[in-house]
Amino acid sequence: MKFSTMLARSARTLAVAALAVPVFAQDPAGGEGQAGGAAGADATKKDEGEWFAVVNGDVYSGTGAVLRGATVLARGGVIRKIGHDLEIPADAKVLDAQGLRIYPGLVALNARGIASRFGGGEFADTFDPYSQNLVLALAAGITTVSDSGVAVKLKRREVKGVVVRERYQSTLSYSSAAPRGKSELDAKFEAAARYLRDYRDWEEQKKTNKDLKEPAARGVDPTIRSILENRSMARFNAANRSDLLGIARLAQKYKFRPIIEGALEGWTVADELGRAGAYAVVVPRARRDKSEELLRDGGSSIENAAILHRSGVQVAIQATSTFIDLGGIAGRDVLHLPIEAGFAVRGGLPEQAAIEGITIVPARILGVEHRIGSIEVGKDCDLILLDGDLLHYQALVQYTVVDGKLVYEKDKELYYAHIRPRPAAQPTDAPEARRDKGEEKPADDDTPTEGGDEKPEGKPAETPEDKPKDGAADEAVDEG
Amino acid sequence: MQIDRTLRAALTLGALTLAAHAQNALAPRTLTPPDPARSAYLVDDAPPAPGAVGGPGLALMVSKALTVIWNGTQVVDNALILVRDGRIELVAPRGDAGVPAGYVVRDCGALWAMPGMIDLHCHVGGSMDINDMVYVTNPELRVQASVIPDNPNFQRAIASGVTSVLYIPGSGTNSGGQGVLLKTGLPNYEESVIRDPGSLKVAQWGNPERWGFGVGKTWENFHLRDMFQQGRAYAAKWKAFEDGKGPKPEHDPRLDVFRELFSHRTQVSTHTQVAQVVMMTILMIRKEFGIDVYIDHGEWGGYLYAELAKELGVPGIIGPRNVDVARTGPGPWGGANPEKMTAIAGEYQARGMEMVGFNTDSPVIPQEELFLQSAVNVRYGFKNDDAQAVRGHTIVPAKTAGIDKRVGSLEPGKDADIVILSGDPSDPRTSVEMVFIEGRKVYDTARDVRRF
Repeated sequence: MKFSTMLARSARTLAVAALAVPVFAQDPAGGEGQAGGAAGADATKKDEGEWFAVVNGDVYSGTGAVLRGATVLARGGVIRKIGHDLEIPADAKVLDAQGLRIYPGLVALNARGIASRFGGGEFADTFDPYSQNLVLALAAGITTVSDSGVAVKLKRREVKGVVVRERYQSTLSYSSAAPRGKSELDAKFEAAARYLRDYRDWEEQKKTNKDLKEPAARGVDPTIRSILENRSMARFNAANRSDLLGIARLAQKYKFRPIIEGALEGWTVADELGRAGAYAVVVPRARRDKSEELLRDGGSSIENAAILHRSGVQVAIQATSTFIDLGGIAGRDVLHLPIEAGFAVRGGLPEQAAIEGITIVPARILGVEHRIGSIEVGKDCDLILLDGDLLHYQALVQYTVVDGKLVYEKDKELYYAHIRPRPAAQPTDAPEARRDKGEEKPADDDTPTEGGDEKPEGKPAETPEDKPKDGAADEAVDEG
Repeated sequence: MQIDRTLRAALTLGALTLAAHAQNALAPRTLTPPDPARSAYLVDDAPPAPGAVGGPGLALMVSKALTVIWNGTQVVDNALILVRDGRIELVAPRGDAGVPAGYVVRDCGALWAMPGMIDLHCHVGGSMDINDMVYVTNPELRVQASVIPDNPNFQRAIASGVTSVLYIPGSGTNSGGQGVLLKTGLPNYEESVIRDPGSLKVAQWGNPERWGFGVGKTWENFHLRDMFQQGRAYAAKWKAFEDGKGPKPEHDPRLDVFRELFSHRTQVSTHTQVAQVVMMTILMIRKEFGIDVYIDHGEWGGYLYAELAKELGVPGIIGPRNVDVARTGPGPWGGANPEKMTAIAGEYQARGMEMVGFNTDSPVIPQEELFLQSAVNVRYGFKNDDAQAVRGHTIVPAKTAGIDKRVGSLEPGKDADIVILSGDPSDPRTSVEMVFIEGRKVYDTARDVRRF
């Protein structure tokens, strides 16, 4: 362990100690004090900083609520107000989102090559705020990544505050391939749980009996202890049904919520994982054939995410490739997270859950959901503005906002400016200005869909093939 | 002799007894009776299913039929599709046609219908041993012998609507051998095969150089031209013999495929990519030798020769690299747009090419993700205002492979290869609900385990 990490860890421990024991049980945010010194910054942000407003857009808050033609007002990088007819300070920077949809910035788990080109983990020192991969990630709607378990905010042209939270997860190994490791892990949990029980008893009893000796923490695994004390989350990498079952039972026995990455056969034991309160990080189109020797269900299923979700598992979606693929094969790498989420929808996951799977659920897994993952007052102003439905393969990010600053503008950058450029400066009341080609027609705006749990079956006018065609040449009318 | 026959009889008997034992051992485990619809083509005495050959007619009702007929109707709303004896009889708006007596009606409600998709670059049609690098060119090798019909990869491909593929050898040498055009969901080779040879696989660059260190494009062009020249001479000798103008040539199995090629009964599918290589595909194979050829892969800067391809009638089937990416630097690989992300199929299209389709190169991209190739291209600029994405999966590859008389559109007289799905075929969110191949229902989510 590097010295600075040790310092950070001990600082966090101190912060927790200062907050006292009952606090972390009640604080759903996981305690801002743990977030690596961000608490101080948050406090100062509240009363100063630049005003920033996004107006006229349809706000898909990520919580299921949709506010059409609303304003998001931020100061110092924090969202202050969301609503209609807000008073915007004269000195505020204003971004007109007429005809665009506003979503929370995406959270890409285990993304490689974005926070740091060569890995390593000390992102505060190695983050390159000018790299091409950073711009590509912002263009893909990603505003936060986790790399080596660290939550990193994709700030552009600045490095201050890029680390949102240091390692919150503790990776544990639980595999049928290593039965001894399984029993040892169980023993560690048993020992840590016993110690914590004894410690609580001692705290209670020492009020009357001052001579009672404090129980010894020697031999108690500090990682397991931090998991049981909710200071850290247990992260497993497991695909097999038997391993998943074992993890679910371990979690239920010792009352912690496991994060399970992979969870390929999760759909076969989804109810157990749901009871364990598990988080699953899935790649919806990952494939594995069922072993012909097995009589039970097995192998991968396109319905994995949907079945896990129905059973109460919080599902985060990870791309097939966690790297940025510049080899030309598109649609499978981290730049296509919404397309990956589309595959989960294909398997039956509600669209709202699919959006949560690339925003708020990964934020929870990283322990940063109090700052990131949805558009809510008090959270960081990380927004993406798209020319259509986030989950539609044709929708492109037009603007990206990180911490209340415009950091990506499609029409003014390399890479995507030439693709379906938006019509320049139309009067705001012109209906033609509302939608870009291939997107929802204005008539649809009146329908009170809430980001859509159901998959629209007809999807009128969403797809170009939709229109009746009889070889007519008058099709290119709405070509942008 | 007598002993031999006795021995054989005994062995046969033994085998039969063993088989009977195996049957008995398995019998109690069969908890559910086999689904007659699924095994209709396996059990001889089962009645043929509606729509299949010999069965009653099938009337499918869908909210939208993507007919994608070349120079014809692209979409029929509220459509009625009549299927009989494995062929499509009629596609019409429901108001314009009635269901004939005796037809089994299947109302698919809000679902859509489209022709089965065609992948002209597939390596997952059987056992994977399809890259024998014996000589610099191996035109006599055939993947036919390695086909496993209805294999697990095909099973998944069917579940995303892929019903026809060109199963071809690998690209380890300049010519890996002969591919075969197959249907994906039929039980045996004889029923699956559409055309054999489906194509002669030529690989022009970007793999064959592994044959030797330091091998470059010049070396490869030399060997390819050499192969085609030998083939042309061989085919010409046979042509002369058939016309009664020459002696009977010596049979050479290595060059037999060129008789097919030079009489236009089959074609060349070319693994070709990067501008100067695509140029050689067009100039050498098409212009110099006059062979029916199309561009496969066609990636990186290959589109710079799209105008030439169009002029000489060379279609482009693009994938699995769909985006010419913003990348610069030394080395032979590089796009033509160091500062832009552009759809490769879109660039061919922008240069006036109409015959632009998509392939997967499965297993490089799983066979079932064929539809995603168009989605990504549309995302990055491929124009889709006239159903070009769906056409690139259906009628374009059908015409490219010369099998459009049988497949590629929902048109009376064609094979009833029909995909029933929940919406836009390019959208990953769309789910495929039912697939018919030649009128046989080979996949139905109401009946089968959901595969994709």
